[in-house]
Amino acid sequence: MESSLKLDGVTKRFGAVTAVDAVSLDIPKGSIYGFLGQNGAGKTTTIRMIMSIIYPDEGSIQVLGSSSSEAVKDRLGYLPEEKGLYKKMTAGEILTYFGRLKGMGRGDAKRRAKELLQQYGLGEWVDQKCETLSKGMGQKVQVLGTLIHDPELVILDEPFSGLDPVNVELMRDIILSMKRQGRTVIFSTHMMTQAEQLCDSIFLIHKGRKVLDGSLAEVKASGDRGILIDYDGDGATLQGLPGVARVNDSGKQAEIYLNEGTDPQEILRRLVDSKLTVRRFDLREPSLHEVFVRAVGAESTLEASADAR
Amino acid sequence: MLDKKAWLVAQREVLENVRTKAFWIGIFMFPLILTLAIVVPAWLENTKSARLYTVVDQSGWLLDAVDQQAALPDLEKVFNHVMELQADDPSAFEALPDELRQTAKQLEAALAFVANQKPDLDPEEVRTKVVEGFAATISGLSGPRGEALRKWVPAEAMAELEKLRDAVRDWWQALPADEADAFGGAVTKDRYVRVDAPADLEGDALLTELGQKVMDEELFAYMVIDEDPVHAGTAVRYVSANLTDDDLKNWFGDLATSVVRERRLAEKEIDPQVAQWVQEPLKIEMRKAGSDGDEEVDAQARIRQWAPAVFVYLLWVAVFSISQMLLTNTIEEKSNRIMEVLLSSISPLQLMVGKIGGIALTGLTMVTAWVLFFVAVVKGLPLVMDLDMEFDLSEIAADPFFLASFVAYFLFGYLFYAAVLVAIGSVCNSLKEAQNLMAPVSVLLMVPLMTLVPITQDPNGSLAKLLSFVPPFTPFVMMNRAAGPPAMWEYLATTGLLIVSVGLVMWAAAKVFRIGILMTGKPPKPSEIIRWIRVPVGAVPERKD
Repeated sequence: MESSLKLDGVTKRFGAVTAVDAVSLDIPKGSIYGFLGQNGAGKTTTIRMIMSIIYPDEGSIQVLGSSSSEAVKDRLGYLPEEKGLYKKMTAGEILTYFGRLKGMGRGDAKRRAKELLQQYGLGEWVDQKCETLSKGMGQKVQVLGTLIHDPELVILDEPFSGLDPVNVELMRDIILSMKRQGRTVIFSTHMMTQAEQLCDSIFLIHKGRKVLDGSLAEVKASGDRGILIDYDGDGATLQGLPGVARVNDSGKQAEIYLNEGTDPQEILRRLVDSKLTVRRFDLREPSLHEVFVRAVGAESTLEASADAR
Repeated sequence: MLDKKAWLVAQREVLENVRTKAFWIGIFMFPLILTLAIVVPAWLENTKSARLYTVVDQSGWLLDAVDQQAALPDLEKVFNHVMELQADDPSAFEALPDELRQTAKQLEAALAFVANQKPDLDPEEVRTKVVEGFAATISGLSGPRGEALRKWVPAEAMAELEKLRDAVRDWWQALPADEADAFGGAVTKDRYVRVDAPADLEGDALLTELGQKVMDEELFAYMVIDEDPVHAGTAVRYVSANLTDDDLKNWFGDLATSVVRERRLAEKEIDPQVAQWVQEPLKIEMRKAGSDGDEEVDAQARIRQWAPAVFVYLLWVAVFSISQMLLTNTIEEKSNRIMEVLLSSISPLQLMVGKIGGIALTGLTMVTAWVLFFVAVVKGLPLVMDLDMEFDLSEIAADPFFLASFVAYFLFGYLFYAAVLVAIGSVCNSLKEAQNLMAPVSVLLMVPLMTLVPITQDPNGSLAKLLSFVPPFTPFVMMNRAAGPPAMWEYLATTGLLIVSVGLVMWAAAKVFRIGILMTGKPPKPSEIIRWIRVPVGAVPERKD
């Protein structure tokens, strides 16, 4: 498959800290690719290097077949982690401006800005100043800004952060429609559920190092199967079950991972006998969260589960 | 580097700034202040309310003499005004009282006669002397003022004028004070209005009554003239509730002094012309050294010497406020997190060049508007209203080199400070943080203001010459020296040095900007910034926190 983006041994140091350590990646065209990791893992640094905002100390990056993104800037769309708009410009003006900075003609950019805003339900905000937009609308305008010039590769840094559920839904739709239009989408997140629902492939980074990458199915298959239950009652009961290695308890839902050789039927039996009311019992592949926790080790379990919410 | 994308950034900057109130206030503030500075003093002068006063004349003659003296300058103004109307505005002239029209015709005839008889005399001087002489004759003064008139004008013509004398004097005395300024503007008759003392009172009772009127603000002041003002130690007693405004006292005092002086001269049998000659101050002619020998300096040239100081101040305000605009703008862009979006489309250099260029266009618009307003106000205002300008600025308004150099020095001065400020803006997250880094720049910018007066006084002195070659000061100091003017080689050398240093500062700023705009957290120390300038492009230097 043709690749959209290739990283080869990319390393970036900030003084004594190695923010990204010898990362190699190959991202195929037309896929949705998730960059996963905790805060400070190196996602943003990697993305900034891809965008040529900063330069790697070692290694090489190939974007859309070019050795530097500077040459292909106009074919890239980028939503940075730190998002902002000019407060005094109108939504239409700012999209036009972004489009023109990407090399579009004035009339073209103007028309397309209007189209996009209408298409995504912001038609009446075309002539409204950005300072009057709500946070969700502002973020939407910015994502549209990454699309206005019809890019081949779109990179979104934390597109879901700070959005309410309705807007999360909307953002997901936008990302899916990008894929349908044949664009490659890379987005970073620390929310595993978003990645699990959207990504074709993922790249897991921890403390600057690549932990794993590959298609979602491959990644999941590499982990042990686990049991997902929905329940009511005292979750402490779960911890005491014999043959259980680990429990990720969320209060009403829990993932149970078994020691080798333990029969899931046995667990089911014990659960039925216990004081818990079990509403669902599902033997399945591990969640991305579990894969992540396994991969980065137990020391970050607490942070990771805090992030996952 | 002014490529298409930088141009887009510049366009956006201009549009954004043109939409702000600050920009329009900046544009209109200057012409407003200029107009006010010219109009308000003139207006205040015209609207001063009349000063009512009473004089108790115990000498019996001084007051009449002062009245005659007071009428003289007023009548001169009236006659000049009437003659102007005769020449320029026939319909207004026809509406004048008959006495005045006759006077004007006689004066015109007398002038024509003198011009014919003595073609070598300066017509302006003749005119002044003839009008003054006639005014003196009418107000009843004898002495040297009437002399020129009698010397030049033949007896028959004099007789015609004499016939008009009483009629004009009666008209003037009967003219109500508040109508007087319709004839030629600022006359004293409507400023200082004498009220007769109550006739039925005398002595202490009179003074008590007058004192009460002053207290009640019916009178501004009353004066008592001594029985023998020529010899008395204190000739006049002036009583008023307001002793800070002494216009009336000075006006009356000057007139009384000149009358008494004539009396004293007569008493000692001294020829008034001798006395005048004795008192004449030495005339000192100022000449300006130049390559073609020295040349005479008139009042105009001295104004020219001070006018650049005003423009230096304007230049300073413009450079400071416009580069401040750039700083605010950069910090805002940084704090609203739009920087990175921009950097995904354009390079930091394009962004910086675009920003500096856009704000330069904004500033140039403002400064050019100022220059045009300046020319318009200085040339236009006198057409609209009657003004006696203390500073005749029209000569500067007509000097394209001076005005063009103002715009050019603005551009270079701005570019120098813009580079510094855009670098500072790029490393700060808030205006408050920027204040600390701005402190040295502000100190630097104070220097041209502190040297404003010394350089104006000595535009080619060693201080002026030295500072001309310090690039951050060059625009201000060279502007300041415009009256000198500096030699051509100085213009070339300082401007060359300025351009080179603008280039260097821009280069350094570009390196700091590239690193600074992506930086969050506390702003770096100056020593750290200097380190950034030396690292190669693309590297992110280590930060010591």
